[in-house]
Amino acid sequence: MPALSKASFLEHSHSSADPKLKNKRNDMRPENYEAQRQPPSNEYELNFGPNHPGIEGNYALKVKLHGDIVLEAKADGGYLHRGFEKLMEQRLWIQNIALVPRICVPDPSPMELCYSMAVEELCGLKVPQRAQWLRVMQLELSRIAAHLFTFGGHAATTGMYSTMYWGVADRDLLLDLFEEFTGGRVYSIYNIPGGVRRELPDGFLQRLTETLDYIESRLPDYDNLFFKNQVFVKRAKGTGVMSREQALEWGVTGPNLRATGLAFDVRRDDPYLVYDQLEFDIPVEESGDAWARTLVRRKELMESIRILRQVVEILPDIHGPIRAPIPNPLAWNVPAGETYTRVESSKGELCYYVVSNGGPKPYRVHVRGPSSMHAVQVLEKMSVGSRIEDIAQTMFSLDACPPEVDR
Amino acid sequence: MTQEVTHWLDNLLKEIEGIEVRRKSSRRVRVDVPADALPALLELLQGRAGYIHLSAISCVDWIDDDEFELVYHVWSYENHSLVSAHIRIAREPGVYLSVYDLYQPAGFFERDIHEMYGIQFEGSPNMEKFILTEWDGPPPMRKEFDSEAYINEHLSWQEYNPEWLQELVAEGGGVIIPPEEQRFSQKKK
Amino acid sequence: MSKPIDNAKQSKQNVTIEHEEAGSILSPLKALQFFMRKPVTVPLEPRPAADNYRGFHLNDHEKCIGCSSCQKVCDNAAITMVKVPHLPEDPINGIRNLRPAIDYGRCCWCALCVDICPTSAISLSREYVHTCTQEEIDSYFILPNETGIHGEYYGEGWQKTSDSDLLDLNRQPMAELEAEERIDNFNEIVAGYTDQQAVIEASRCVQCGMCHDACPTHMDAPEYIRSIWQGNLEEAVRWIYQSNPFSHVCGRVCTHRCEDACSIGRRGEPVSIRWLKRYAMDSVDHERIKQIAAEGKADYLSGKQIAIIGAGPAGLTAAYDLIRKGHQVTVFEARKEAGGMPRYGIPEYRLPYDMLDRDIDVITSMGVKIQTGIQVGKDITMTQLEADFDAVVLAIGLHLGRSTRVPGADHKQVRKAIDLLRRTTDDEDYEIPHRAVVIGGGNVAMDIARTLARQQQQQLGKVQVTVTALEDMAHFLADPVEIKECLEEGIEIYDARGPQACIIKNNKLVGLKTWKVRSIFDEQGRFAPKYDEQDEQIHAADMVIEAIGQMSDNNLLGDELTEILDWQRGRLSIDEQGRTSADWLWAAGDCVNGPDVVHAVADGHRVAASIDEWLNQQ
Repeated sequence: MPALSKASFLEHSHSSADPKLKNKRNDMRPENYEAQRQPPSNEYELNFGPNHPGIEGNYALKVKLHGDIVLEAKADGGYLHRGFEKLMEQRLWIQNIALVPRICVPDPSPMELCYSMAVEELCGLKVPQRAQWLRVMQLELSRIAAHLFTFGGHAATTGMYSTMYWGVADRDLLLDLFEEFTGGRVYSIYNIPGGVRRELPDGFLQRLTETLDYIESRLPDYDNLFFKNQVFVKRAKGTGVMSREQALEWGVTGPNLRATGLAFDVRRDDPYLVYDQLEFDIPVEESGDAWARTLVRRKELMESIRILRQVVEILPDIHGPIRAPIPNPLAWNVPAGETYTRVESSKGELCYYVVSNGGPKPYRVHVRGPSSMHAVQVLEKMSVGSRIEDIAQTMFSLDACPPEVDR
Repeated sequence: MTQEVTHWLDNLLKEIEGIEVRRKSSRRVRVDVPADALPALLELLQGRAGYIHLSAISCVDWIDDDEFELVYHVWSYENHSLVSAHIRIAREPGVYLSVYDLYQPAGFFERDIHEMYGIQFEGSPNMEKFILTEWDGPPPMRKEFDSEAYINEHLSWQEYNPEWLQELVAEGGGVIIPPEEQRFSQKKK
Repeated sequence: MSKPIDNAKQSKQNVTIEHEEAGSILSPLKALQFFMRKPVTVPLEPRPAADNYRGFHLNDHEKCIGCSSCQKVCDNAAITMVKVPHLPEDPINGIRNLRPAIDYGRCCWCALCVDICPTSAISLSREYVHTCTQEEIDSYFILPNETGIHGEYYGEGWQKTSDSDLLDLNRQPMAELEAEERIDNFNEIVAGYTDQQAVIEASRCVQCGMCHDACPTHMDAPEYIRSIWQGNLEEAVRWIYQSNPFSHVCGRVCTHRCEDACSIGRRGEPVSIRWLKRYAMDSVDHERIKQIAAEGKADYLSGKQIAIIGAGPAGLTAAYDLIRKGHQVTVFEARKEAGGMPRYGIPEYRLPYDMLDRDIDVITSMGVKIQTGIQVGKDITMTQLEADFDAVVLAIGLHLGRSTRVPGADHKQVRKAIDLLRRTTDDEDYEIPHRAVVIGGGNVAMDIARTLARQQQQQLGKVQVTVTALEDMAHFLADPVEIKECLEEGIEIYDARGPQACIIKNNKLVGLKTWKVRSIFDEQGRFAPKYDEQDEQIHAADMVIEAIGQMSDNNLLGDELTEILDWQRGRLSIDEQGRTSADWLWAAGDCVNGPDVVHAVADGHRVAASIDEWLNQQ
């Protein structure tokens, strides 16, 4: 529910003093589009999105087609631009913890962590052990929830809506857990520079284990319905192929990179929190197509469950505070400096470049989401030569997250 | 990064004139170079040290110094280390070279910085608008652009007048400190 | 969502999927096994969310003090402070009748408001949903109370815990001299904050301004505290001089009502506002302070002359204000040195006199003339002042001690505390008693007891001072810190003891007889102590010191003027501006208000404003 009334927004945006601005704006509105006569050709342009069930979020791909083969694709973002980077420069350090999770809706937790880690590094705050384990728990739960969501979306692009319903319903069980220990279902706002905001409720680890058991028990059902489904296998294999060389050249990260056979994971290779104390494998696939990417996620789900089971085992033995003392947030000057923090989100390499000039607000926060590669240049390149019905699948198999691009 | 690699990298970086290297942690290196030396540095890092992944290009507007800072974060999958190369360019005219030839991801970041800060990257494949398609104002991430003032000027706050408030006003009460007056605790009471 | 546990299989199958051995085309049909399963449904009726849930705001209006910290921390500007007239408004105790109203069009449910709330009045409910049509949009703006957005209590969800509390409830400890280090000297006990301590202490402030409202002279404490936090000490001094030219003094001995009203003090230790003021004043170069104080001084002369009688905080504050307005001010001081009650009533271990001198120096550097050793009524008459000056301010303090008038109180070894304190300041010798008994339980009693203890230690090598007070410990008038430090210094305190007689044998004072106090006031609240005569004690003494209150020496007015002026119970009666019934004469400070430095400063400002207004009208 926006507090700024829509009517006043429209009124203002049309009553701009600059006539050039006015015309331009009007042209952009669908109601003002006029059909243009073109010489006869087999080529045509299609706006794929911003409102389209095959597009993740509000995003568009402008494609030029010959028959049903894509000749050219241009990504068009900005529909979810909220100016977060600018807003963060205007808010106190602590206030941004409520803002950052909103940058990526399906997988908000790494955003919180990445921002908090940056502030901690600038301030030299030492995060207590217990908080680090709690953060790992939150991150892996978020990864599972995000992957379930992505399977669902991916399945839907190949017409298999049951998988989507299952995925979303099972994700809800994880949201129940989030609600219980962070206080919020989607935007947990659980991290705060210095640690986390809440101790676990009584019996939480037991309920976590039950949910993990349940999710695990569901995987064969998912396999039957989706991963082994011949319709899906045939559609996904060989679709949206990239080689490892291409992936590295294009700046691809995360599961998409691992689907080309390179076992790279920030959690292991540039470790943060207590990931270096945890046992987990980095699943890889070699074929670099939509199938491989989805399969990597399917296997990662198992690894996340494995990590969570270790957390359940170890966490009760880790005692102590869950937050380092921080100054009064209304009077908190973070020492001048800059830092680049990096975490592995469900979509790939997520980084924050945070600059402080020693003041009460960040001087600059740059959010580098993995999707800023996957959803723009990579998607544009991979779409060329593919068939129109595969565009949606390519996008979902890349797990591109438009709000992360738009910020 | 192993000790050996560290030495090797340090020696390599010494080939660049005017370079300043600061090792922030075992996997983070900050280097400051003159703007014209950056392409050579990146070429060196990519070609001879395996820093093949351009993680991001960040831009910071140091308006008081009349400069933009561009930071190129490059990662080596072999050394497991991240080098952040910092350069400063004059705010006016705000022109720099594209590194797209070396790193394709630069295409997106340069386009984004162009859109948000108005920096022109010579040789970048695409400087078209991406996010702010309908925006004709100044590049909004520049420090001189006051987005809050813009909002206050162009949009109105939702006004509420619920019954409970009307009753309080009748009693002699009502709104004393509206939120915008105390926003971010910066303004004096 | 209730969990469909019946479907859970406990066996952990580690399925490997190879796309070569992809399943049969029929495998999706296995999903049909769920066809008969009971669907997972969530009932439509409302249900409470999890215990930690961040739902809608709840606010305990009794606990909430309207400090607006929630509004400051709100990242979306969703909170409006609304005045609720039927709730109590009590600035002295730090309570405002403002309450937060929430705009749910802007709120993002981060609960930072809960985590920062100094009183822990705010919490969030366990309620999920509110929605409405465009016509009912007003329902998005609510004034939360204990019940919640829909008037139906769902239980408290997110509340403040010690883990999530964002406020630092402990003050920075102040370094002080230990009892044995301080007992044989008059060195200042309190060391003052270091730079780092001051910044940390200043950062505890939430800028609510309760201190400002409670302070008699309404010091801009939030502003100078913020300046200290920002490291801008000159700016802090600038804010301080907006309202208090006696801040070296007030930074040390103020009764700090600000700290009693501080909202951090609701659950923790209030911000050390007094010590922060002292820190700012001590940290800036004295010459720079003079420049800052002179900023904004009128660059013209009004041609008006004002006489001020008494160079204490009230008189000199008035002088400071009037000289800034371009008037000429002459201050007449009967004693050898300016400073008034702070110099002659407060011992130097609490207030080093060179600090007082600095405050006075700032004021004289602006052009205020102080003539010391001039006794009005003797060296110059009130009639003459009336004739020579456009206005006169009477700010003569309370320099006469009251007597208990018990039998034997007229003995020469029965002394007044205020007299001994003055003699100490002036270095006038008097014989130090071997055993001293002080009557009184206020700060002056503590001052004289501790002064005598130091002198005994210096000259006799041991402390033998007894304090007897009417009040019991729970109702002592003196500052608790004073009592604590008294006891540390080896002074005995007998509470609830009423003096009955000074015992004199062979013309020599030998002790004080006291009875146990049963009650001090009668049912109408009048002073009428009742004693338990059986419980009698004799406190051996070769000196008894009365410290039961002071009065002003009004003889200087002269009979004629005394007759003209209006009086109320022995005190000069004044209007709200501090003006007496004679239009040329104002009165300010302890002589009309009772003892309190910061009140005297406030008084000085008040009469100066009134005089300036009156002079401008002429």
